[in-house]
Amino acid sequence: MALYEYSWLILLSPLFAFAVIIFGTRMWDLATRGRVASQPAHEAETHAGHNGHDESGSDVELMHEKGPRGEDLIFENIEDPKVPELTPGAKISGYLSVVIMALACIYAWILLLNTAGLISVAPLLPTQGISLTQISYAWCQNIDATNNCFGLGSYVIAFHLDNLTIVMLVVVTSITLLVQFYSQGYMERSAGYARFYAYLSLFAFSMLTIVFAANFLVIFIGWELVGLSSYLLIGFWFNKKRKPAEDRLSPSSASIEAFIVNRVGDVGFIIGIMILFVSTGTFSFSQLPTAVMHMDKAVLTVAMILIFCGAIGKSAQVPLHVWLPPAMEGPTPVSALIHAATMVAAGVYMVGRTWFIFAAADPLAFQIVAWIGGISAIFAASIALVQTDFKRVLAFSTISQLGYMFVGMGIAAGTAYGPGLGMFHLFTHAFFKALLFLCAGSVLYALHHATHKETQDMRVMGGLGPMMPITAIAWLIGTFAIGGFPFFDSFFSKDNIIAVAFDTGNYALWAITLITAGLTSFYMFRAFILAFGGKGGNWGGLWGGTYRGKVYRIAGVEEGNQDKTYLVEMSPEEKEHVKVPHESPLTMTIPLILLMIPSIFAGDWFNFYPYIQAGAPALTVRDVLDDWKTWAGLAVSLIGFTWAYVMYARVEFARIHDYVQNRAFLRSAHRVLLHKYYVDELYNLLIRYVVFGFSHIAQAFDTYVVDGIVNGVARLVTTIGRDVRHVETGRVQAYMIGFFGGVAVLAILVFALVTFVK
Amino acid sequence: MGLSLNHFLVLGALLFCIGLYGALAKRNAIAVLMGIEIMLNAVNITMVGFAFYNTVKPWSTYLTGQIFAIFIITVAAAEAAVALAMIISIYRKRNTVDVGEINLMKW
Repeated sequence: MALYEYSWLILLSPLFAFAVIIFGTRMWDLATRGRVASQPAHEAETHAGHNGHDESGSDVELMHEKGPRGEDLIFENIEDPKVPELTPGAKISGYLSVVIMALACIYAWILLLNTAGLISVAPLLPTQGISLTQISYAWCQNIDATNNCFGLGSYVIAFHLDNLTIVMLVVVTSITLLVQFYSQGYMERSAGYARFYAYLSLFAFSMLTIVFAANFLVIFIGWELVGLSSYLLIGFWFNKKRKPAEDRLSPSSASIEAFIVNRVGDVGFIIGIMILFVSTGTFSFSQLPTAVMHMDKAVLTVAMILIFCGAIGKSAQVPLHVWLPPAMEGPTPVSALIHAATMVAAGVYMVGRTWFIFAAADPLAFQIVAWIGGISAIFAASIALVQTDFKRVLAFSTISQLGYMFVGMGIAAGTAYGPGLGMFHLFTHAFFKALLFLCAGSVLYALHHATHKETQDMRVMGGLGPMMPITAIAWLIGTFAIGGFPFFDSFFSKDNIIAVAFDTGNYALWAITLITAGLTSFYMFRAFILAFGGKGGNWGGLWGGTYRGKVYRIAGVEEGNQDKTYLVEMSPEEKEHVKVPHESPLTMTIPLILLMIPSIFAGDWFNFYPYIQAGAPALTVRDVLDDWKTWAGLAVSLIGFTWAYVMYARVEFARIHDYVQNRAFLRSAHRVLLHKYYVDELYNLLIRYVVFGFSHIAQAFDTYVVDGIVNGVARLVTTIGRDVRHVETGRVQAYMIGFFGGVAVLAILVFALVTFVK
Repeated sequence: MGLSLNHFLVLGALLFCIGLYGALAKRNAIAVLMGIEIMLNAVNITMVGFAFYNTVKPWSTYLTGQIFAIFIITVAAAEAAVALAMIISIYRKRNTVDVGEINLMKW
């Protein structure tokens, strides 16, 4: 059992890396950097001089500098400050994070292989798992004999290991390791390289806290730490400005939005936790499923729905999904980490962890979970159909796939699957979504090197396939994995959710998820064709090739045009700036190659359901192939692939554009989807008129009532003082009159009393 | 009909009123001082009168009232000296002894 008992080392390793970077290598770097630091400062001055003349009215100013080794250093408004070369401390920080995470990852894989029965270095885990550490604190000093305070149990910092934990351990450590490895290439000359690795390690630690948590208290600590880390990482390039032409926020605004939207969900989460604690006196996941049996069922259901609010916020489900697309402003490896392993997975994992508490509540709770998931799935997938931003398509696909996971959690109510359905999709999704995001990063990296610009619009890409074959193949595999192509990941994990939705009688959810599967295949293959397809040409094949037209660039916001961006043809001078993109360095392609493997084969873990939940039916290929629902799903998925191929590879882009724009229904539908159903606008209105309206009322109350009372008292005292001071004439005789007059009045009073009141 | 306590009291009261009038109504600081002296002496007369006509043993054997009057005369002398010195000082500074104009303590 020693193998299991030391698994807390996995939890502490990223924290250790974080501490070493923050207090060790980074401090050392700062202490020894004096000589090097003067150089960027000098460069910044020269760039400020360059800023003065704007070249040819372009919306992006390019600044070319020669680095110390004669290489080109490109500065784009110094948005992402580059350093000529990394300091030794920064490099050590990167290597240290990678090595520590690699050790943690190996440990996690040993745990997984051992508990799955593939190797046997230790006996299997007991079904209910083992407790790692348990530290108990009293709430306050006034405790009675049973260590209780006001009837509330003591609070416990406890960590716990079971199969569910191990699955997530593998996901988190593997993805974090690959992302950290990949970042060595992607962030190669970014300023704040060591800081980036410190944040990545902190992020991994936060998520592992959630994964290991044995009670709500610990999960909430991890929950907030994840929010903090994502805030730090999304806003990592805090110098970047917003780009209205591409409808993109600045990273700092995006990070604030992510943080605040998550707080909205967390309000519900913490209220739900408090309801459960007040009713049962415990936070523990192992005790709650039995403890809640004595609770009022309605109260329990409300509590679980509130707890699910936290998952809605963290996993970006429908009412609170607005933070995820802007979160694309962070560095792409961060997006991969957020979308695959750490941030959004936390919501699904939390629902999986508390699945049996949900099961004890009214079925309504699970219905809400499933329906929020189903609505999110089709909602986000439909938006992704028309998005042209490379990363934003992936962002909406994540929302959509997380919707599937919640559907899987919800519809498993009353079945033997337990949390397995949703967790299986979480497990496979982590690999192919990380793969897709790292591919996107690879593309953006290559295009940035080729064009000296941040290029994310798929309409100006194209023909990248021959230029960067590994990335293209990886993206294709990711597309097949997410689209449910036979024997890729989703074919088992996602299609089984769809099939179980039918089997449990949720026909509406079945229809929704089935349609979403088709949409998923469509938009992912569309992205593949737009970015990688085409014959290749001057720069970008689709626009430069024979059937796509000309080379474009994004020009800006057209006056009065709701479609926000429009493209203009590149001038010959601009074309000269554009070099041919080429495949990314090995540090970036190795993680892609490694991720292709689980993206194809992770779905083949047929014993996943019994692994997560004892007694759940195992998946078999025969069952899957014999089931007509599999073929229905496959048909829908293939229709999506074909449709995308026909539309974007066989037909001229301009023709589709004209066709859509000339038909009122298609045009308005396209516009609604392009604006993401106007949810952002709705929230803007809501905040402008409801929230700000309320704050205006509150402000008026403050100004006129609160300030009125305070200032009124002061003014009253001043007025009285000003009027009464005239008594002080300064003339002694006036005072004497007062004195003797007072004595006289007193004398008369005494005389009157003595005389008349006997 | 000889002198009785009432004569002393009436005389004291009259003198006190005269002194009070002088102290309150006069603008000249020296006149005010004189009014105060008159009030003190009015009190002295009242006190001595009470002491002389006291018949209640054992207090009638004591000379408390007379001694009190002597003390007041002494204090009044010292007071007159200090007050006159102050008036001279004020006169030197402000060239007036009009109490209506001596209002440094005004708001």
